Amino acid sequence: MTVSPSAVARVEAAPRPIRLRLTLTLLGYGAIALLACLVAPLVGSTPISLSRAFDRSIPFADNVDAQIFFLARMPRVAASALVGGGLAATGVVMQALLRNPLADPFTLGISGGAAVGAMLAIVFATGASLGPLTPVPLASLVGAFVVGVIVYALGTRPRRPMSTAVLLLAGVTLNAFCWAVIMFLQYLVDFAEVYRTVRWLMGDLDIGGFGPVVGVLPLMVVAFALFAALPSSLNLLSVGADIAATRGVDVARTQRLAFVSAALATSAAVALAGPIGFIGIVVPHLVRLMTGVDHRVVLPASALFGAAFLVGCDLVARTILAPVEVPVGIVTAMIGGPFFLWLLVRKA
Amino acid sequence: MAARAKGLIVLVALMACGASDATPSRTRDGDPGVTLARANPTWFAPRAQPRPATRIVSLVPALTEMLFAIGAGPQVAAVSSYDDFPPEAKALPRVGALLDPDVERILALRPDLVLTYGSQDALEAQLARAGIRTFSYRHGGLDALFQAMRDLGAVTGRTTEAARKANEIRQQLEAVRARVRGRPRPRVLLVFGREPQTLRQLYVSGGVGFLHEMLDLAGGANVFADIRRESVQPSSETLLTRMPEVILEIHETRMIAGADAVRERAAWRALSAIPAVRDGRIHFLNGDYLTVPGPRIGLATEAFARAIHPEAFR
Amino acid sequence: MFLQLQQISFSYDPGEAGLPSQGFSLRDVSLAVGRGSLAGLLGPNGCGKTTLLKLMAGVLRPQQGTIFFDGRAAAGIPRRELARHIAVVPQETHPAFDYSVLEMVLMGRHPHLGAFRLEGPDDLAIAYDALAATGTAHLARRSYMSLSGGEKQRVIIASALAQQPDVLLLDEPTASLDLAYQLEVAVLLARLNRERGVTIVLATHDLNLAASLCHVLVLVREGRVLAQGATAHVLNGGMIRELYDVDADVRFHERSGHLTVVPIGRAR
Repeated sequence: MTVSPSAVARVEAAPRPIRLRLTLTLLGYGAIALLACLVAPLVGSTPISLSRAFDRSIPFADNVDAQIFFLARMPRVAASALVGGGLAATGVVMQALLRNPLADPFTLGISGGAAVGAMLAIVFATGASLGPLTPVPLASLVGAFVVGVIVYALGTRPRRPMSTAVLLLAGVTLNAFCWAVIMFLQYLVDFAEVYRTVRWLMGDLDIGGFGPVVGVLPLMVVAFALFAALPSSLNLLSVGADIAATRGVDVARTQRLAFVSAALATSAAVALAGPIGFIGIVVPHLVRLMTGVDHRVVLPASALFGAAFLVGCDLVARTILAPVEVPVGIVTAMIGGPFFLWLLVRKA
Repeated sequence: MAARAKGLIVLVALMACGASDATPSRTRDGDPGVTLARANPTWFAPRAQPRPATRIVSLVPALTEMLFAIGAGPQVAAVSSYDDFPPEAKALPRVGALLDPDVERILALRPDLVLTYGSQDALEAQLARAGIRTFSYRHGGLDALFQAMRDLGAVTGRTTEAARKANEIRQQLEAVRARVRGRPRPRVLLVFGREPQTLRQLYVSGGVGFLHEMLDLAGGANVFADIRRESVQPSSETLLTRMPEVILEIHETRMIAGADAVRERAAWRALSAIPAVRDGRIHFLNGDYLTVPGPRIGLATEAFARAIHPEAFR
Repeated sequence: MFLQLQQISFSYDPGEAGLPSQGFSLRDVSLAVGRGSLAGLLGPNGCGKTTLLKLMAGVLRPQQGTIFFDGRAAAGIPRRELARHIAVVPQETHPAFDYSVLEMVLMGRHPHLGAFRLEGPDDLAIAYDALAATGTAHLARRSYMSLSGGEKQRVIIASALAQQPDVLLLDEPTASLDLAYQLEVAVLLARLNRERGVTIVLATHDLNLAASLCHVLVLVREGRVLAQGATAHVLNGGMIRELYDVDADVRFHERSGHLTVVPIGRAR
């Protein structure tokens, strides 16, 4: 029996089947994310004693180490993981939905709406709160929803696929409009409030307890449940809407699901931590450079890597100038930018 | 729009300084880092000045207060859009402020002296070209405040009144110091900005500047005394490690009382290991006089002291 | 009939109550394609060929009329099920991301897998079979974007084949290809039709390709069917003049064994 050399070559050259790739990727990136989440709470501006933190004999109210660990660090790590994972996964979805590698979670104008909401809450010092959502996160959530609904209404027509061009233009226009509103408000109000809103825009993960995380968690859970149904459809959608339709994808439905899930995750992330930039665009591209472009791998890998990435960035943000902190948005851009360029150069 | 307060300008100067100044210290001990006399050199020399200024435009609320306090009120022609103390200042024309000075209106008022912030370089250059003297000022510590008062006395021809007023303020401060002398100095966190109902976006006094010095006089040990900046944005973790025994929160525009106070106090409850939280020693102080480094700092320092050492004022 | 369009009207700009108001793309079109046939759609630019293909594929829905697939109204067939029978090769395909050739071909398995089911060894075998059938197996690991126009076209055909369709709809499959690739694609389509019994409908401007390849032709002009029938019957000078306003010689070519069309000039 003879085996032709080309057949051998083909077998050898055969890429890993998707199941194996997915398993390896999830294990690899999951390990990175887990490691980040385990290490991050152990490190901070001050050394703490873990044995004291977990010592049940000391009442929690008096246990400083426990409060630092459970109230200052754990919620922060949880928020970082949630926001990082949410923004990175949303970046993947947006880039496929708009068929544009430069799209990110903020392309739809949702962050602009959230910023206007936060700005109004800061300026008017509203006292309105909802459960664990304090005024500023609540208002930014409302602002994000308002913009999301407007863009959705503009971009969809009954029983027709969404117009990605309209979505993109509506998002960019609404972002610009929101910025005009923000600048108008900033022009009218006092400096201290202007500065606070500027600081809000730099992103902040020091949430001081699990309350805010609990407040936005339902939105994130719904968003990720919807994300889970999307990847194979996003593959086809990113090849082309018509070809996706002829391969059995319900294009209009997929686009709506993608939009709604992306909007929910973005709103939740921004309400929790402000518009932390760069993750939604850098993390998906980093992951694609490492794993290829199949969304079934890229989406979960980006969520996990995004979580690890932001946990890491926040760790840097809170320790590098300790006891003073650097706004985390600055760190993500300063670490993410050069790293991304390095990977691009290396690949080329 | 929200109520305006002159203290806000100071606060923003503090916040911005804290945020932008990554190097820990701009100033050394005993040198409160004032760049007071960075004035127009050709025109302004406080002591050798021939003729007192009679038409003054003040863009700095703290300086406006000082002018009125030393009896130079009648010489003030216009004030900034944030000025509302003393009440007489409210009646004067307004010509913008730090970011938006209305040069045209300032020129139209034909002033012979304009008091500006240290960062208003472009405005100073413009005024210099128009032949108008400027007096550039930056907020610093208490020494800077007294120096500014002396300089204003010189340029307005009210040296004696300025010296008298300065003495009066010194006596007020000394009285506060005497009241709290010998008492244990609790560790104090002095907050001048915070996101409502949360412990996010906290702005607190570092170990530099007039707020820190006032706290020191009022018998409190600033928990961030070691950070050589005017403002610090501490995280929850840092708060837990600094363990303040008293928390003073300055709310310059918003009156925190009743339900508001309950809600804002509740925000602190998360960090119950902090002694001030555990012992309920969180004080909300209202009023813009608390954050204006002007003639009312004696009152402000006393307000701090009353909150930190209530027993000393019984 | 296998694929049948009955009095189809379609407009991209539906007016009140979903009825076509103005600017019909297609008006009252009826045509039929038999199982196993190889049909060509001919007509000038903008006559509605691409629209017709999209209607057949179920991407667009007609405002009036019914499309039958294998005796069932296509509108009642779920999209995923329809995609297991009908595959489309668009004129050009520009993925937003740099998929590998194998990934592109495996996407053809989408209608056979659920949203959560990953492709297994069977799907991989089908994909490799499709690659082999289109002569692109050696490209499997290459990036789709790095391929030449002809290779891309064949990969997209392979991707459509991976759908294991009964019907293959192609929109100007040879438009951007050089002579050798045109011939290669023509040979491939003929073989698919002959050996696998795939029903093929292709829209084209290349009359000689249509003459050599297609058993039946449908001539479309300004959204209406001008004529349809066996190639030998429909393809003649008179029809070409009516279709394109062009004078052309149509002759039987001995060596190639099919009709050839030589355009002479614009008809007066």
